[in-house]
Amino acid sequence: MTTLHTRLLTAALAASTALVAAPALAEGTLTVAQRQDPANWDPTDTFLVAWGSVASNIYDGLVRRDENLELQPGLAESWEVSEDGMTIRFNLRQGVSFHNGEPFDAEAVKYTFDRLLGEVGAAGPQQSNYTTVESVEIVDEHTVEFKMAQPDPVILTKLSGYGAMIVPPDYIEEMGQEHFDMNPVGTGPFKFVRYEQGARIELEANPDYFEGAPELDKLVFRFIREDATRLAELQSGGVDIVSDVAFSAVPTIEASDNAEIVAVSGPTIYSLALKTKDAVTEDVRVRRALNMAVDKQALIDAFLAGRGTPIASLQGELSFGHDPELEGYPFDPEQAMALLKEAGVAPGTEMTIDYRAGNSTFNEVAQALTGFFAAVGLNVGLNPIEDGVFLNEIVPQGRTNEMFQFSWGGWTFDFDNTAYLSYHEGEKWNPYGTSEEMNELLDEQRSSPDQALREEILQEVANLAHEEAYHIPLYNEQTVYAVADRVEGFVPAPDKRLRLTEVGVAE
Amino acid sequence: MPILSFVLKRVIQAGFVLVAVTLFVSFAIRLTGDPAVMMLRESANVTPEDLARIREGLGLNRPFLVQYWDFITGLLTGDLGASFFRGAIGPLVSDALGATLLLALTSLAVSLVISIPLGIYAATHRGSFGDQLVRVLSLAGLSFPNFWLGIMLVLIFSVTLRWLPPSGFMGPASLIMPAVTIGVILTSTNLRIVRTTMLDVLSSQFIMVARAKGLSQTAVIYKHALRNSSIALVTYLGLQFGSLMGGLVVVELVFNWPGMGTLAIEAIAQRDYPILQTVISILAVMIVAVNLLVDLTYMLLDPRIRLE
Repeated sequence: MTTLHTRLLTAALAASTALVAAPALAEGTLTVAQRQDPANWDPTDTFLVAWGSVASNIYDGLVRRDENLELQPGLAESWEVSEDGMTIRFNLRQGVSFHNGEPFDAEAVKYTFDRLLGEVGAAGPQQSNYTTVESVEIVDEHTVEFKMAQPDPVILTKLSGYGAMIVPPDYIEEMGQEHFDMNPVGTGPFKFVRYEQGARIELEANPDYFEGAPELDKLVFRFIREDATRLAELQSGGVDIVSDVAFSAVPTIEASDNAEIVAVSGPTIYSLALKTKDAVTEDVRVRRALNMAVDKQALIDAFLAGRGTPIASLQGELSFGHDPELEGYPFDPEQAMALLKEAGVAPGTEMTIDYRAGNSTFNEVAQALTGFFAAVGLNVGLNPIEDGVFLNEIVPQGRTNEMFQFSWGGWTFDFDNTAYLSYHEGEKWNPYGTSEEMNELLDEQRSSPDQALREEILQEVANLAHEEAYHIPLYNEQTVYAVADRVEGFVPAPDKRLRLTEVGVAE
Repeated sequence: MPILSFVLKRVIQAGFVLVAVTLFVSFAIRLTGDPAVMMLRESANVTPEDLARIREGLGLNRPFLVQYWDFITGLLTGDLGASFFRGAIGPLVSDALGATLLLALTSLAVSLVISIPLGIYAATHRGSFGDQLVRVLSLAGLSFPNFWLGIMLVLIFSVTLRWLPPSGFMGPASLIMPAVTIGVILTSTNLRIVRTTMLDVLSSQFIMVARAKGLSQTAVIYKHALRNSSIALVTYLGLQFGSLMGGLVVVELVFNWPGMGTLAIEAIAQRDYPILQTVISILAVMIVAVNLLVDLTYMLLDPRIRLE
């Protein structure tokens, strides 16, 4: 239905010639519309990118990751990692206060991590990302030391987001957990003002921000579930930036005279995983043939408005572990047919693609894929499944058909995140197993503090997976924003976090 | 005491319905998926221990009947508890319920204000051009899917003319388009009911008697005919209430209206059992209560029903 809405709206918008300039919104206020309301502002309680885009404006971590995915000082001015990777010492920024006036110090850092790794964190989804941290020790008022349970090569990146955002101890102890869920306080460039569940959150500039006050006076996020409704808000001047723009709406925005498309390579890749056990896809020749049957660029042009890149492994170009030398299987239907014949797969053999029904773009892609497979003589059906059932009952239990959707976008941009859960034994996205060699490679890079070595191993993992054709890697999609012309200086980060300190609005 | 025993009987029946509905909903949603898996769906490195830890934190490892009992006693004592993801349910549901009722009642008012006079006009001018026009318009209204109508209104009044806000709930102007969208659909059927029953009543003997007594046309129609035909309309409105609530879900989505439908859809997507079972129970209570009210209204409208 979402697609239908978007289509109707797109068609009608295109037909409408009477689009006038947006009426001026309140001075110095920027309004962003996004699909999802994270519904809880506690860093330990979230698992949503939608949380990151809002909360990056409220909280800071010890480390900050910039628009180029480089790590920068955040609440820590500098840090030293010990040789064996088992301790990290952070020198904290001095003179910083939380929005409620409470001072930021070593105590706050310790409190944040005790809370995350203790009882409060246990009921939320973030704790599992930080279990490599054993404890946080206070050295002095402005120095802390992280004791690691095991070396974690991605820990610094993980300290720049989500569960590792530093929270105010006195405020939480005084006001209680539930109050904090709905009334967040951090050290970030914007202060929390008001939150209406399901509708909006309003923030105002923090004039005392340690990197200087932001350009804007006020920042509002509105939560609008329907794609078409978000666009209507942009077209009628109700919002300035729309995130999660449907690809089908891109041409409409490009043609409009009061807004433009701003896109950035995102973390999310789409692929079809192949069933390597008890199915016709058990044979690697069949899996390679399926890879050769698909014209990835055609999918990108037709359904993503060109806003994507074909991939050869389950990662985009920005990912740590990306191997630029690795080339995907060529689009070659004839060789695909030859391989199928060699593997003894008769023309007209039936297969099925299981996929998550909620995503309208992927619905279309899946339909087109059946066409590509039909062209090499296979009779492939579609089986759309509701998200909850797909993630609970189908994939982890190994009850999929021959092909099933795998789309992933780890915000850390480290291939370990995706590779481990797709290829390592016992992981939820690997119900049919890979190989002992694969398990060993993944374990080896995970415990190594040597980044150069890790990169080499992760590239090897990607090459091995390519050789075995465990998946049909399809594309890495761009994150697309529609931005009103009055907005100045909007540079989106690849990790979908919207930190709007440098953005302004024209009067 | 016939009225009292009638009401008592209905209340007991309603009680059974509610137990059955809440029990079924609480049980069924637990079969559809695990909130712990939904919570960790974007996380890598998930171990079975992580899942178990979250289930325990959410109280999901307790036997079903214990969880159900907690929910029901909470509901009865007004303590709605906490959502898995979103904090206390009480304020969440009361805000959403307020928004949904506001929208439902406004739509109903819009529909009655249009359908009663037009229906009477059509019935008293049967076969005229006006009657034909009313019937064609009501058929057209019935044929619009409500989400399509909603989007068309947004395109015309928000995107092109910029008179009304396209979504959200920011003052009375926000109410107009969603209320009209649902109102138009309701009007189409109500109009036909009013017209048909009025025609039926107007041809009955007591109307002829009233006319023979020399009562004016206005008195005949508004005092006698309308009251008698309103039984059918009230019954229909009662029955319609359930589907009105269902239709609201779609319209709430189009207009981003912060109501019960939006709340329920979010809760289903996240497998937030506490919110979902509360929302559905409250809707069930309302539907049962409205139907009880309809039965009671009959007694006011038709004295004969009181005696049975």
